[in-house]
This record gives sequence, structure tokens and C-alpha cells, in this order.
Amino acid sequence: MSSHREAPGISQDPVADNADVYAFVSPDDPTMVTILSNFVPLQGPAGGPNFFEFGDDVLYSIFIDNDGDALPDITYQFRFRTTLQNEDTFLYNTGPIGSLTDPNWNKRQLYDVSVIRDHGHNGARKQHHEKDGKGRIIGNDLACPPCNIGPRSTPNYDALAAAAVHSLPSGETVFAGQRNDGFFVDLGSVFDLAALRPFQNLHLIPTGAAPGIDPLKDLNIHTIAIKVPIAMLTRDGSTPSDPMSAVSVLGVWSAASRRKVQVRDDNGNAPKGSGPWVQVSRLGNPLFNEVIVHIGDKDRWNAVDPIDDAGEFESYVNQPELARLLPILYPGVFPNLASYTKDRADLHAILLTGIPSGVVPGFQNFTGPRPADMLRLNVAIPPTPAASANPIGLVAGDPAGFPNGRRVFDDIVAIELKAVAGATIPLVDPSFTPDGAAALLKDGTAPGPGRYQDTFPYLGTPHDGYHTPSS
Amino acid sequence: MERVSRRSFMKIAGAATGAAALAAAPPIARAAVGEEDAQPTKATTGVPEEPVVAYVRNAASGEVTVTSGTAEHTYRDRALVKRLLRAARKDVR
Repeated sequence: MSSHREAPGISQDPVADNADVYAFVSPDDPTMVTILSNFVPLQGPAGGPNFFEFGDDVLYSIFIDNDGDALPDITYQFRFRTTLQNEDTFLYNTGPIGSLTDPNWNKRQLYDVSVIRDHGHNGARKQHHEKDGKGRIIGNDLACPPCNIGPRSTPNYDALAAAAVHSLPSGETVFAGQRNDGFFVDLGSVFDLAALRPFQNLHLIPTGAAPGIDPLKDLNIHTIAIKVPIAMLTRDGSTPSDPMSAVSVLGVWSAASRRKVQVRDDNGNAPKGSGPWVQVSRLGNPLFNEVIVHIGDKDRWNAVDPIDDAGEFESYVNQPELARLLPILYPGVFPNLASYTKDRADLHAILLTGIPSGVVPGFQNFTGPRPADMLRLNVAIPPTPAASANPIGLVAGDPAGFPNGRRVFDDIVAIELKAVAGATIPLVDPSFTPDGAAALLKDGTAPGPGRYQDTFPYLGTPHDGYHTPSS
Repeated sequence: MERVSRRSFMKIAGAATGAAALAAAPPIARAAVGEEDAQPTKATTGVPEEPVVAYVRNAASGEVTVTSGTAEHTYRDRALVKRLLRAARKDVR
């Protein structure tokens, strides 16, 4: 999965598990950038009576680097607080929830949003400001929507979700709450020794070719969404129109942090935290920690910052294990990939530095030579109209898609499979001829209706627990 | 509540805590805590593998709790609590 349960440590801590990050120019307002950061993955919609929520003891952060030094220039922080209206019931709600202030809604979450800007001079290593947890509050006591329970409890869920979209006086728009998980992948297949059902007849342990199966299609997730005017994110305060300008490129990632010490009492009260914030999860490019970093280093990768990716983590990109496994698991299918022993400059550019000018005509999202895992979004590239958008993104000629940021519907699994299999090597090494299968690789899944919506926060209505699963 | 003297407390907890913490701390951390009065020590007993944690349970009454392994002990040591609070204030930004 993109980064759902991707590391041993964070797989034990779902509320802090940063599962997906998206960053794109808002299709309904190209003067804005939307960033989504997802947590609490793999939610069964029927999981009551204590339905899913953010962690009150977690600091959630979204970072933006606008000067290419792989350090945050702008940080948005989100802190949550759960309240009970009625302690004398076991119910999440004691009747239909008709509004975000409905007294029938018993267990609700509120949150504060803060921002940190101007962290020092270019070139200096700035403090990891998730560790102090102190920003300027730009929104407080903002309501999350409830989880989508069913027709009796949340009969008009979309109205509740719409009411939880908050426009802040400072110019940002925010939402935090349950949504449909937009990521799609044949999870059961890819972790069964990298089987891809459409091609599994060619696998070392063959079975008949079959369509892909997406187990995430019935699951929900919790999304922190923020829409920000582009001019509030760029280094010079402009809304760039020249894709070739360095000002146009933003680096984006997010993270979750916990207090260093947690003390429990003997009376069942909530644990109390002490000490600085310690990062326990982070995410920039999808699948980076999941598929690129080796299992013994995954927890450490989550704890450090993009600026720390140079060296060992960089080496995982240069010589990815999956590229060595594909020729073994699919005998005879990838002979050219098997014989390619050079460092993968194509993946290094896509994942760690951005694509420099001169590689893809009219496009770049290069942030400089410092290797760091960030989503890199060129905000001067306008959104591609929905009718002509290609979920394979830049590789398929749609420059508004991954790896130019990431849209909710981008087919990350297919894009990265093709890239790892060698389809993008000729961008940087024209002497290489990709194997015929590389451009065809996919897991055979596609998002169904309702997965997304056209407006903020762009992920669709979460499945309700009454109807899901349907039998 | 078990009561011990400051002397015995330091013998039981302080030495072990200090030895464990300082042994594990990188040089920059040792410098940061201000060792101008510290003397080199050598652990005479086994240093716990897990962290030994001391926290002020009740500042007004001078109670401090020390956890080590699966054990927890609470002591009254006003002088130690005072020192811990003074150290905490140094770190509060």
C-alpha cells in the first residue's frame, strides 16, 4: 500500500500511521494548492461503538519546502481533542446526528490548526519544528464530522461533512475527518511474492491470469486536508506561471509525532505526555518506505527527516530490491532489467531530487541536488481537465499528475511498477531499452464510482457501517 | 507510602539512574546537561537495559516516582524534587 502499516513500529500505532499524502493544484480553483494527509488506515466502516478518530496525543504536521533545501519553510500543525457529551451511555450517538452541534452526537472531536513560517536563513539547518509543537494558531475548536455510521445515525452524511469544511480568516480552508480511502491496490496479490494477477501466469509460481482485486474499495481513512492560496506557499509570494522557474516547485511531506514520555496512572485516566515531540511516521512519495526502504531501517526512516535521506536511504533508491526481484519472479520477462547494473538515476530524480529541466519537454520539478524524499509539485502546471486527465500521470503525458505532486486518482502502483521495471530509465540513459513488459505492468485495479469527489476535500463520502460490507 | 531518606534514595535510584542515563547519552547530551559538578562514575551493578524513569508525582509534597523494569517506587524527597523542577525550568522554552 502507499504507506499503510508500512513499517514494523508504526503498524502498531494506527492513529499516527501516515498512510498517504497528496498534493495538487486544486482542479476547481487553480490559484490554490490542496494537500491531503491520511491517517488511521484500513478502517472497517462498521467499527463501532468507538468509531475511528485522530489521536488526541499525536501532533500531525504538513511540511512545505519552497526553497529546495529539503527543510520546511512552512509547517501546518493539527492537534485534536475528543469530548464526551454524555458519559452515561455506551453509545457514540444517542439519536440521529443532524448537525455538528447536535446533542445526539456524544463523542466528537475538535481540533486546532497552527502554522509556523520563516524558520531561518537559507542553507542553515533549521530546527525540526515538529519537536517544539508551537505554531501560530490560525483556527481553533474546529469541528470534525462524525464517522459515517448508517442511515439511522447519519442520515445526511454529506451535509455533515460539508459543514466540517472550515474557511480560516488567514486564507486557508481545512477539513479533518473520515473519508473514503482513495488509494487502490491489489494488496492481497502484491504481497504474495509480488504477484500481479493480470500477469501471474508468468510468475515463478504461476496461476491463471485474472483481474486485480482491490480490498481498499470498502475501507475508510481519516484525512487532514488543507487548501492554501499558492501565493502563501511560494518563496516570493507569487502565483507562478512559468513551469521552468524554480519558484514554481514546492516540496511537500507530512508526519506524525508523539511525546517522548507517556505516563499512565492507576485509575484509567488518559496517559499524560511529557517531553519533546518525537516523529514516529512520515511520508512524501507514495511507496517509498513501503517498497524501497528495507525492513530493518523502516522505523528509523520514519523517525528522521527528508534531509536525512542522503546516503543509506539514497542507496535503496539507486539499487532498488524490487528491480532485482522482478526478473527472478517473472523468469524471462525482464532480461534487459536483469542486466542493468547502473545506479537508477531515473528513480533518484523522480523520488529524491525532482526531474530537472531538459528531461521532459516543458516540465521540471527539480528542487536541487540534495536528495530528499518529498512530493514535488510544480504549481505553474495547471490542472488537467477531468475528461482528459490520465491516472498514469507524467509518464503518460499528463504533467499535472504524479510525480508532479500526486492527485487522488493517480494510479501510483502502476506508475511505480513501470518505473521500477525500467520504463523510465531511457529518460536519463538513452542506451537502455526497456523490456516490453515494463510499460504494461499494472496490478489490474481501478477505482470505482464514489471514490472521489470534484470538490474539497476531493476524497469521496466514507462508506457507512450499516451498508458495508453489504453481505 | 514507603519512605526513605534522601541518602538511601540516591543510593537506590539516583546512582543507577545517573549511571544509566549518562552511559547511554551521546557526548553532546552530556555536555548539554551541565556536568561541571559531576564526577566520573563507574557502575558497580548491572545497568538496566530499559530506561530508568523518574518523574515528579506531587511537587507540593515533594513526591517523586521512579520506575525501573516492572517496578515503581514513590519517595518523598523535597530536595530532589526541587532540583528536578529547577532542571525542568531550564528546558522549558
